[in-house]
Order: sequence, then C-alpha cells, then structure tokens
Amino acid sequence: MTEYLIRRILQSVLVLFLVSIITFVLIHAAPGGPTQVFLSPGLSQEAAQIQAKNLGLDQPIPVQYMRWMGSLLQGDLGHTFKNNLPVGEILWPTMQNTLILMSVAWLFSLLIAIPWGIYNSTVEYGLSDQTASFISYLGFAMPTFWFGILLQELFALELDLLPLSDMYTMGKEGQIGDLFMHLILPVTVLTLGFLASYVKFSRSSMLEVLNQDYIRTARSKGMKEKRVIYRHALRNAMIPIVTILGSDLAILVSGAAITENVFNWPGMGRLFVEMALAREYSVLMAITLITAVIVIIGNLLADILYALIDPRVQLARKGGASA
Amino acid sequence: MLIMVLIGTLLSACGGSNTATNPPKEEPTPSENTSQTEPAKENTTKTPKDGGTLTMGTFSDIVTVNPVFQSDTSSGDVSKLILAQLYNLDREANVVAEPWSLAAEPPQISEDGKTYTVKLKPEAKWTDGTPVTADDIIFTINATRNPEVGSPGISAYDKVDSIEKVDEHTAKIQLKQVYAPFIYSLILTLAPSHILKDVPPKELKQHAYGTDPAKTVTNGPWKWSEWKQKQHISVDADPNYWGAKKPHIAKVIYKIYADQNTEVQALIKGDVDTVSAIPVTQLAAVEKRDNLRVVLAPGPSYEYLGFNFDPKNFPDNFSLFEGQKTRQAIAHALNRLGMVDNVLKGTGKLMNAPFLPGSWADPGEAAVNYNYDAEKAKQLLAEDGWTLGSDGILTKDGKRFSFELQYNAGNSRREQISSIVQQNLKDVGIEVKTKGIDFAAWVDQHLNTGKYQAILMAWSLTDPDPNGESTFSSKYYPPAGQNSGWYKNEKLDELWVKGYSVVEQSERKKIYEEVGKEISTDLPYIFMYQYGTPQGIGPRVNFAEEDKPEPSLAYGYMYRMINWWVE
Repeated sequence: MTEYLIRRILQSVLVLFLVSIITFVLIHAAPGGPTQVFLSPGLSQEAAQIQAKNLGLDQPIPVQYMRWMGSLLQGDLGHTFKNNLPVGEILWPTMQNTLILMSVAWLFSLLIAIPWGIYNSTVEYGLSDQTASFISYLGFAMPTFWFGILLQELFALELDLLPLSDMYTMGKEGQIGDLFMHLILPVTVLTLGFLASYVKFSRSSMLEVLNQDYIRTARSKGMKEKRVIYRHALRNAMIPIVTILGSDLAILVSGAAITENVFNWPGMGRLFVEMALAREYSVLMAITLITAVIVIIGNLLADILYALIDPRVQLARKGGASA
Repeated sequence: MLIMVLIGTLLSACGGSNTATNPPKEEPTPSENTSQTEPAKENTTKTPKDGGTLTMGTFSDIVTVNPVFQSDTSSGDVSKLILAQLYNLDREANVVAEPWSLAAEPPQISEDGKTYTVKLKPEAKWTDGTPVTADDIIFTINATRNPEVGSPGISAYDKVDSIEKVDEHTAKIQLKQVYAPFIYSLILTLAPSHILKDVPPKELKQHAYGTDPAKTVTNGPWKWSEWKQKQHISVDADPNYWGAKKPHIAKVIYKIYADQNTEVQALIKGDVDTVSAIPVTQLAAVEKRDNLRVVLAPGPSYEYLGFNFDPKNFPDNFSLFEGQKTRQAIAHALNRLGMVDNVLKGTGKLMNAPFLPGSWADPGEAAVNYNYDAEKAKQLLAEDGWTLGSDGILTKDGKRFSFELQYNAGNSRREQISSIVQQNLKDVGIEVKTKGIDFAAWVDQHLNTGKYQAILMAWSLTDPDPNGESTFSSKYYPPAGQNSGWYKNEKLDELWVKGYSVVEQSERKKIYEEVGKEISTDLPYIFMYQYGTPQGIGPRVNFAEEDKPEPSLAYGYMYRMINWWVE
C-alpha cells in the first residue's frame, strides 16, 4: 500500500508538471495578451513595450515558464498583471466560497441520488422511477441560468421569502443562518443538475449488477431480496459510482460558472471566466493546477476505495500495471 | 490628448480602456430635453438628511484608484467618491471649480494660449493630514507622461512641455503648442506626491497605493474603508473632510455583480439603490416597477461602421470601399433610424459626424444626413461601376462585393446591429459576413494592426472636446495610432490641426462645421448613432433638481452625489 501510494504520488507530480507546461503554452498562445486588455489604445508603442518589459512579458515563453515555476516552487503563485495583487489573496477566499456551495450541493444530491437510484433499480418503471426520469430530463434539458432566474423571480422577487443573490447580506458576513438562506436557491439549482446524472447512473449500475449470474445464483439459493440487493449487488454497483464521484471531485473547487453568475456567488467558476477574459495568466495557471491536483486526488481516492469495496482489487498490482 | 477611447462592452470591466472621465459638451440650453427622469418625484421639496447607506451596483471590480493608472470605469466610479477632482464639469460641460474641486478658481490661460495656471484651495488635505499642494499636481502629471511608468493616460499630456511650482498652492503648466482641448486634461484626480515621489518610475505600478485601502490616502468626501475583492468596496464619509460642503450619505457601498442582468435583478429586489447601465433587454422589467426611476438618454458615446482603406486587407488587393459613392450608398442602405428605434429603445440618437448632437461643435445641418433609401443606394452603387451579378451580389471588375464585418463577441447590441446591417446591405446587393471576436484577440490582431475589412465599433467621448485628430488623421496610422482603417484625407488632416490651434470657441466652431461637412461627405465611417446606458435609481435615493444625474456627461450617473441623500 505504501509503495503504491509513493508510486502514485510520483506519477502525479509528473502529470502535474506536464499539465502546467501544456496549460502555460496554451494560455500564452491565446490571441491578445494582458497588455491589450488593460493598456489604453492611446499608449504609444514604446510605452507599451516598456510596460511589457516591466511585467516580464517580453521574455520568450520558456523563460517566462521557468520564472513562474521558480516562484511556484517557493510557494509564490505570482501577482495579477493589471494591479499587482497577490494571486493567493484572490484565490483562497474564492475557493472557500465555492467549496461551501459545491460541497453542500454535492453531498445533498448524493444523499438523495444514490439511495433513490438503488430503490428505482429494484422497482423498474414504477412511479418513483418515472419521477426520477422526469427530473433527470428536466435537469438535463433545462438551462441552469433559466432555472436559476425562475427560482429568483418566484422566491426572491414575487414571494420575497429568500435572498436574491450573494453569499451573505451586507453586514451579516460570517453568520451561518444568513449563509443558509443564501444557499437554498443555488443549491437547489445545482442539486437538480447533479441529480439528473447521479440518479440515472446509480440506477443503471445497479441494474447491470442485478442482471449478473451470481445475483441469479444468490436469489435461487433462496436468499432474501434485501440481502441480495445490499450485500451482493450494491457492493459491486458501487465501483462505477465511486469512479464517477472520484472524477467529479474537482467540481468542488472549480465551481459552476453559470450558477455562480446567476446568484452572484463569489466563486471559482466566475473567477476563471473573468480572469480568462482579462488574460491574467498567473491566476489561470493557479486555478488549472489546483483543479488538476484535485482531479488526481479524486482518482487516487477512487482507486483506494475500490480496494475497500472489492477485496479482489489489489492496489499494488493495479498501480504497477498502469505505470 | 486621448479624446476618444474604444469601449469593449464585455462581462469584464469595459474591456478596461477608458481614460479620463470627461464628457461631451452640451449647448448652454437646459439638458431636460435630452434626459427624462421618470417618474418625476417631488424630491425637490424635501430637506436633505444626513446618514444612511447608498449601495451602487456594478458589474466589474475595480483595478486601482491610483490616478496615474486608473483607466477602467469601475475604478473611476470609486475614485470619484474618495478623490476630489482638480476641476469638475458643470451640467453644460464647462470646466469649473466647484466647492468640492481641489482648485480654488478656473484655470488661467495666458494670452498666447500656451500657459495654464492652476490654483489649489489652501484648505484641501489628504486623509493623513498633509495638505494637497502644487507638488501633487506636478507629480501626477509628470508620472502620467513618463513612458517608463506605463500610464494609460500618457497621451493626455503629450502636449505638455513643463510644469513648474509657483508657490505651495499654484502650478504653472507650459504647453509645447496651442492646444485648446488641453483644458479638459485638467479634470483629473491627484496622486499624493508625499507618498509616491521616491518610488522609482518602473515600480510605481507595483506600489500598493490604489489597491490597498490602508495604504491609500485620499482627499475626497468619503474615505476608503474596505475592498472585498470581487464582492464590494465600501467608503465612509470622512469626518475630517476639508470641503465646506460635506456629503450627506454616511456610507457608500460599491457592490460588484456577475453581470448586468444580476445587477438589475438586485435593483428590483432593493439590494442596490442605483445601477448605471441597464441593458436595453431589461429596460421593460425595470420600467414596470413603480418605485424605480429610469434615467433614459443618449450618453457620450457613438457607434460606427468603420471601413478599411488598406487594399492589403482584401482579396487581390481590391479595396471595396475605395469609391466615395460606394460609401455613401452604404450609408443610404442602412436603416439607422430603425436601429435606434428597435434596438436602442430610447437611448439612441442619430448622428452624421463625430460630434455629439447638441454639443457646441455639432455641425447640425452642415453635416450630410443619409436617410434610409435603398433605391438611392442602388443608384449610387451603379454610378460607381457596380453591376448586379447572377447570384444577386454586385460585382465590379470581376470582384464580388462581399466583406467581413467584425465586432466583439458577447456585445448583444452589436450582435443585433450587425445582423440588421447584413440584412440592409443584402437588399442592395452587398454580401456581409458578420464575425464576433473575443475582445482581447480583436484588439490585438485586428484593431491595433489595422487588419480587417470593416468593423462595428464605438468611441466613447471621454472628453467634451470635439478634436478627433487621433482617430481620423493620417498621422495616426497603426500600430501606434487609432486610425486603424488607414483613412487619409489631406483636407481633414489640416482642419483637425487648425481646430485645436485656436482657443476661441466661436472660431473653433466654424472649423468643426467644415470638418463635419467634409467628413460626412467622404465617410471614413458610417456614423450610426449616439447611444447611452439607462440608469436605474431605487426609491431610497433623493436629490434636488440641480443635483440630478446628468446622462450627457461621463460618470454623469453619480453627478453631484455629494449632495444626494438616502431615506
């Protein structure tokens, strides 16, 4: 297990390094640099060049990359071009905000989706199953922003029961009760989106298992249906579910730009879009790398969970094979 | 001189490229005819109340309030609260010393028109108690015009020869030549010399002044207390403010929303008290609420369809827009009035020359007005040698009349306008391919290099002066200049210079009338319309009639806010 973990971590470092190079090159290849965005068109060529030099933007990309990597290794994420703010100062609070919103929505939808999907697999095409299908279609088909605006119109403007947007009411920062009220609408929107895929997914992975020979064997031995479902089927059905959850883990920090926009949640999705438009390379790099780290951790967790769920999975050999 | 500046109306700031803050000139007639405040509340009879909080909505965070680097609208908004301006504009866009201006009296201009003397109020102070002095003026202007500093406002002072300190409160600015528009460059906020003078020019941009509230001394009615990035900025009335006239509102919160739609929702809900730009698509939703007021008027910006005159941008080096009659035909083919009525919904006004309607330099009837007349357009095109091809598209010397019209993606107004242009021109046999491009990429690859066939763009007249040399003169070709369409007209080149080389307004007016006639005949652009952004005001906001918002001025949505109050 320890050996496996060390190998996975080393692999991850290599992956992160490659991700950082690829993103760095891609971001710099995007047309228009930060200077185009914030410098006035009235600025003379010479002045623009001096400015680019001050910011180190006149250097070749490999040199810029080495500089960026150098400061990153010393724990410095860099500064924004347009106003020299430390990236961490923008990033960490924003990430916390996103984490709060996304983890509540995610946990909430998992708590609903997995048991519901499992139940639906046992009573295929029953009322509950049909309802789940309907909700899934709705979740897939309805644009997030539209659903968000509908909820706002109804609950915030017409009925005036809930806050319209933001994370806190001005002057009530940090109060849990206020945060809770502000979470209701965006969490509803996000949950609908998550439910749509998770209910369907857990139902279908259960169904797949339930059609296996060993389930028929178990049933034919006269085992109780409950025991068949929970002891034999569920464990095996959990494997694909865990895979999905592991790879979805990154949304907890990468956020949901559209929902954040509609509810004016000061989160990562919005930040990324804004920073991409402003060509703030250091912020974009930091967000990409953090997301990559979480994706890697998510996959690692999933792999470890496989071993816990299914004793047949042996981590060491699995890791070795994929190396 | 930076009279015009391009606006990239995007989610993020305004593309971040407005400098200075100065609006177009209005005739000294009352501006009621251009702005209607509805419904007319009888707030003139009430007495102002001190205290309370006013929340302003915006859709982009500030960048810096350091006057040397401030260039985007949001930073400008916050600057207006915490930093006094040297001079202010009155409702008719005259440069004046108001009780809240740093200057004690209007600038004195020497006989030869080349020396400007500025006198400060001796009582003006920074929040750390240091007096505001001539050194602050000298530092701010010199830092801005120093290329090593990298200020976006550099061109505003390129005619300055030297600045000298006459005494503690008086500065004398010497120009290299007579340059009438310079007076508007004096509407500036000052950076504190005592804090920044020892910072090497290259490091000024990295200095925390302007981004860290604790390290930003200010001299305005409110002082900066908090910046929660991407969320809000708050300023509090400064108890030690030097001005004789104190602000009524105790706290102003500048609240940042994800986009204009969210912002408008918040206005409806009552979370914010004013919104400076309601998208026209949301206008109806705001107007139907009885408790909200909408200030609806064209603002200091105009949109145009710009032609490119460099043949290299066209296949076989065949410039489609070479013929003057061709350009006039396009002007006749466009239903500009229809655009104003259907897309701009009361916030637009037709214009025929690059001078705002109603401003002193507006050539009025002297400029040619092209009415919507497809038949006339077809006739002019035929006279210019275009014949209808078998596919319904005009041809000349075997070349089809087909071009690409670029605009910045995400700007819904331009999206709508470009498709109307496409339809209108199709009716006369011209094929238009519209193309929306990401703002940063557009500026980099097309505007700065002058590589496009035609563009849909706008200029924001940040300065009330009519001088347009940097946009239309052949002295200002890309990459350094803003004449990105490579337009050349020797007569105009000369007229622009003549126009700013006299100070007397009545003489300048005659010159700009000539400019208006020539430019509207020759058409480097199709001048489309002046447009504005409707302001929304919530029920808690009060102001006397003389302090109401002035949409014809840049930052007019917070005009004389020092006198507003909330209940």
